[in-house]
Amino acid sequence: MATVSLKNINKTYANGHQAIENLNLDITDGEMLVLVGPSGCGKSTSLRMVAGLETISGGDLYIDDVRVNNLEPSERDIAMVFQNYALYPHMSVYQNMAYGLKNRKVPKDEIQKKVEKAAEILEITNLLHNKPGQLSGGQRQRVAMGRAIVRNPKVFLFDEPLSNLDAKLRVQMRIEIKRLQQEFATTAIYVTHDQVEAMTLADRLVVMNEGNVEQVGPPIELYEKPATQFVAGFLGSPAMNFLDASLNGNRLTLSPDVVLDLNDPNLPTGAHDLEVVLGIRPEHMEACDEAGADFTLSVDMIEPLGADTLLYGYFPGTDTLITSEQPGKQQFKRGHRLALRIDRERCHLFDKATGKRLGS
Amino acid sequence: MHDNAVFSHKVLPYFLIAPQLIITLVFFIWPAGQALYQSFLIEDAFGFSVEFVWFENFIYLLEDPEYWNSVRVTFVFSALVALVGMILALLLAAMADRVVKGAGAYKTLLIWPYAVAPVVAAVLWWLMFNPSMGVLPFWMDLFGYDWNHYVNSGEAMTVVVIASAWKQISYNFLFFLAGLQAIPRSLIEAAAIDGASPFKRFWQIVFPLLSPTAFFLLVVNIVYAFFETFGVIHATTLGGPGSSTKTLVYKVYEDGFVGLDLGGSAAQSVILMIIVITLTVVQFRYVEKKVQY
Repeated sequence: MATVSLKNINKTYANGHQAIENLNLDITDGEMLVLVGPSGCGKSTSLRMVAGLETISGGDLYIDDVRVNNLEPSERDIAMVFQNYALYPHMSVYQNMAYGLKNRKVPKDEIQKKVEKAAEILEITNLLHNKPGQLSGGQRQRVAMGRAIVRNPKVFLFDEPLSNLDAKLRVQMRIEIKRLQQEFATTAIYVTHDQVEAMTLADRLVVMNEGNVEQVGPPIELYEKPATQFVAGFLGSPAMNFLDASLNGNRLTLSPDVVLDLNDPNLPTGAHDLEVVLGIRPEHMEACDEAGADFTLSVDMIEPLGADTLLYGYFPGTDTLITSEQPGKQQFKRGHRLALRIDRERCHLFDKATGKRLGS
Repeated sequence: MHDNAVFSHKVLPYFLIAPQLIITLVFFIWPAGQALYQSFLIEDAFGFSVEFVWFENFIYLLEDPEYWNSVRVTFVFSALVALVGMILALLLAAMADRVVKGAGAYKTLLIWPYAVAPVVAAVLWWLMFNPSMGVLPFWMDLFGYDWNHYVNSGEAMTVVVIASAWKQISYNFLFFLAGLQAIPRSLIEAAAIDGASPFKRFWQIVFPLLSPTAFFLLVVNIVYAFFETFGVIHATTLGGPGSSTKTLVYKVYEDGFVGLDLGGSAAQSVILMIIVITLTVVQFRYVEKKVQY
């Protein structure tokens, strides 16, 4: 049961590189906050500052209204699951899970009770006397989780815990982590570069880029209303298409032949030849007959995925490669000319200069 | 058709291993056989009479309190060299592992002593510890301590241990540093989160993970102290004062080449040979297996 607050957190390395700039986040009790972004965006650094493994250059970090900037990692009452699990190779699974309790001088019989209970929850009771070297990747992951939950900490910290697992196991463990976190109702911060993991796990999602927070909110909100072009491009698979355009009032010109009238009252009034970027997700361009179409895509490449088929081609009159997602039951051939209509309600407009969202 | 390529030559394989074989035969098997044969003989110093006496040399040796003193000196000396060399190296490696700026320079400087020949190292320390002109006794004199390792056996042992260990520190340092750098940082971070103090982190996490390295170095250091420190002792104390720094190897030299007791000296070499073989077996057997995890 805990809240975590980051107030104007800064991180500048000795070489002058600023990894984090004025980070402000409030994590409520029992919430799963996911930090997501490309490598080098500062998400891991932020997590490590919360853990106390990295010094904080400026700002205040509170756990439960206690300023913890200068507390040792062990005094912050957090537990961390590392990407490489960081299990002690010379200790048995039992000793691994008990180590933190032993250092906190918990009585032996109580340690045993706690470890056995955690092992039961994670279904690793039969592995307690094995060494980590004898376990599979998934089992090690469970032990790492076990080491975190036996201590019943205020905050769970996850540093890309699933990146070392194969795809199938990753999905399975993802569900498991979600289940455990909800069961324990423990505040958690989870770092990942995988947007699917981020979307599925997060109560709230933080998209970071180059040391700055781009947007914070529930995953669906970020997906449906990305505040910046970066967030729009980062979330969603296949990725959103971006097309350069110019905006005059409500009239969007993509090319001399493709002009869209948008019915968005929140667009900046009196826009005159404003350079913008149209973002449209591959699934939001519908196949239709020639008459109702906005443009025709000459299909260059086809990726049948079973449920859906991805079609790639150049937007007419440009050298921008775009993707369209169509239901999988249809058969397509290279060179196929596909008439597409852009869903007006699902258009995202971004200022080309600032990357910020325009309109609603 | 054969599954594998088969060479029908009978001579070629032998020809190819001949260089290695010849070196082993000429420089190891032959002298070892010679020593074994000689250990059964009693010769006068000028080679006029040779008598085959079976194990008489060995029996004489094992009944000689001087020999047992040398055994004791060797064990004390080896243990000290291994301990001093390893502890200091581990300390230096732990510190070098934490250095961020100029790490390369520190490492290079710490590795240099290994390139110094044992005799040169010994002469260096001999000069520094020389009671009449050395800089260290001069300083100790300022504090009222009268250093003279030519009369004080404890001090003599100190000199040979320092001179021998100094060289070995570089070697141990390299291995310990490599071992430390192979330990993932996240393990130490996990231990920090688990509430282990820096001291506990070192002894409960880092050190057990270094134990294979430490065991390997222990064997190597003991072998070094046993067999490769002749130059150091010869250049500093000549085995003295009395016999206080006369190790087994030094005694072989002294009895054989100075005392001209060739049979007794050969018998001692044979015993040393057995010790080397034992240590080698231990190293091969356990270095790989006796891993803590």
